[in-house]
Amino acid sequence: MSDNEQIRFDAVVVGAGMAGSAAAIVLGKAGLNVALIERGQKAGSKNYFGGALYTHALKEVLPDFMDRKPPFERPVTEAGFWFLSRDGGLMKATIEGGKLAETELPDAYITMRAAFDAWWAKQAQEAGAFLIPKTTVVDFIRDEQGQVIGVQTDRPQGDIYAPVVIICEGVNNLLTQKLGLARRDVEPAHAALAFKQVISLPMETINARFGLPDDAHGLAVSVLGDVSLGLPGMGFVYTNKKSISVGLGVMLDTLAEYRLRPYDVLQRYLQHPAIAPLVEGGQLLEYGAHLIPEGGWRDMPQLYAGGVMVAGDAAAMVNALHWEGTNMAMIAGKLAAETAIEAHKRGDFSAASLARYRDKLQDRFILQDLKQYRNFARFLETHPQFMDVYPNFLNSALADFFSAYGKPKKVLFREIFGELTHRRPLLKAVGDMISMGKAVMGW
Amino acid sequence: MFHALVAVKQVPDTTNIRIDPETGNLVREGVPAIFNPYDAHALAAAVEWKRKLGGKVTVVSMGPPSFIVTLREAIEMGADEAYLVSDRKFAGADTLATSYVLAETIRRLNEQDPVDMIFFGKQAIDGDTAQVGPGVATRLDLPILTYAVKIRDIDLEARKAIVERKTERWVEVVELPLPVMLTCDKEIAEIPFAPLPDLIRSLKYDPEVWTMAGPVEFDRGQVGVRGSPTIVYKMGTPELPEPGEKINTREVGVEAAVREALAKAESAGVLSAVLGGAK
Repeated sequence: MSDNEQIRFDAVVVGAGMAGSAAAIVLGKAGLNVALIERGQKAGSKNYFGGALYTHALKEVLPDFMDRKPPFERPVTEAGFWFLSRDGGLMKATIEGGKLAETELPDAYITMRAAFDAWWAKQAQEAGAFLIPKTTVVDFIRDEQGQVIGVQTDRPQGDIYAPVVIICEGVNNLLTQKLGLARRDVEPAHAALAFKQVISLPMETINARFGLPDDAHGLAVSVLGDVSLGLPGMGFVYTNKKSISVGLGVMLDTLAEYRLRPYDVLQRYLQHPAIAPLVEGGQLLEYGAHLIPEGGWRDMPQLYAGGVMVAGDAAAMVNALHWEGTNMAMIAGKLAAETAIEAHKRGDFSAASLARYRDKLQDRFILQDLKQYRNFARFLETHPQFMDVYPNFLNSALADFFSAYGKPKKVLFREIFGELTHRRPLLKAVGDMISMGKAVMGW
Repeated sequence: MFHALVAVKQVPDTTNIRIDPETGNLVREGVPAIFNPYDAHALAAAVEWKRKLGGKVTVVSMGPPSFIVTLREAIEMGADEAYLVSDRKFAGADTLATSYVLAETIRRLNEQDPVDMIFFGKQAIDGDTAQVGPGVATRLDLPILTYAVKIRDIDLEARKAIVERKTERWVEVVELPLPVMLTCDKEIAEIPFAPLPDLIRSLKYDPEVWTMAGPVEFDRGQVGVRGSPTIVYKMGTPELPEPGEKINTREVGVEAAVREALAKAESAGVLSAVLGGAK
């Protein structure tokens, strides 16, 4: 390659994460010459999550993905909520079997991103994408009209030309901001810092502690209540094959306001009487953290402009309550790729041509859900009783219900009811339920 | 035109390696493989001088197919061609057998295109022997300068180079005839951030793989385990000496402590030595 020869591709995808590799798989399969640019040493080296991946999205992007041996840990065979009370109690509301077991393909698999993302990018390579690691896109190349016609990387002679660029740069969306599509950095009040420990334990110990018959069964739970010092936050527990992932997410502004160090919050959570026995005797394998953009609909940047589209965390495509984000990212990446393919057929990469991307997102659950949950991002913050009062009440009420104190049930029920109204006046409790419903339904 | 040849090795990243206390062997499982750092600096120097003088850099390595990753990295760093000498029969080679295979390979490459300067790292960070470079130079009957830290000049017309060599006490400035071999320390050159076209070329590059089948004719008795007379008798980590016994003066008082210490020294038969030292 001579020095003055331009590097050209049919499309550039920035970032080999969930969205980026999905886009590259679709573009590659369509026979387009696509560059997938990743700043890490390899795909996945910068990524981190809880977490579990939903198979519906994987299947939509890559129908034969199961035959390609993805590096999953365990399928999710038990899912739900755990409520921790301040006095050390644990109430479990999980489902196993039933609907979860009905489908041939499990709904979700517990996964480690470092391994998975490397595999996911490899699928893109096998589809024909050209993966360029260790390279950071720092800016764009534009024509006289301002339309994006390529990217500038941090390397010498680092320009890459392409008529369409799909930005899947993740939560720290500097490029999206550079284009003016996002106005500013994600606000601390709209970003959760999720941090976790991966704790190594023998497989048999994990199976015994979590009541799982073997490593073809796995547990994924959201943990509410006495998780994050009564501050808005949600914990999680996932069983890997030979380790467990335990962590929590707390809004960034909360951490700042109370001057909390994530590690201290996590330590306290791990010492909760209901959590400590689960991790006991384990060896710490990893400690890590990642930002999650939870602003959703309200923080969503403009999703396209001339020559570019934005997908995944960079576009705040996260539904925090339902732990959805990776699935939205994959499908958004696919839809952006399909839009790019259509633009190639038309030979038109203008903003008007790429506007189809937004329509496609609108037709799917992604924009619909994000719009519906647009008020939820701030809901827990304005209603801390959901993290504190109600989990404690539920624990206590349940304990009362199943205890024989030798007194009439009428009295007991009155006491339980009295406890609730003591903790939270009845009208307020009713109001809380209504606002919760509104936040979830998007009214 | 300057033709530099650089020999490189892939090594486990010894910065996060453990030693199995039972067997004394390195635990290689899960340890990332990296470009031997000294080789990387040597390669950077070769590329730097190729860019100054014009010419090419050829990289050669002996090892399993996984070394292809390292050779691609060499291309990314600016090498023009890369050769991997790889065969199951080469497995288990000590430094003698390795230097034989590399010397014969380099002899062949030199016939194709005469080499002006051969670069090795001063040693590999896994074995730390620093023997293979000198072994190859001896077999090829080449002058060698070890611990090279700076190339001052390469004069292709006059067929000589001026290179600085670090010793324990000072730096020697040496005039060398070409062709010559250098084994390099890290100061020889900084590793630059590769231009994008070089990275892209490296990602598409497949090094040429040479085996026992050719093109070099290797003597079966001199390669791999058969060609390796080194026998590792035992490997282990040195045991930490037991800490000495402590006598607490606060508990027994200074007088008693001194008396007890002297008594222990006497019974251990070292008292005269202690007193002798105090004289």
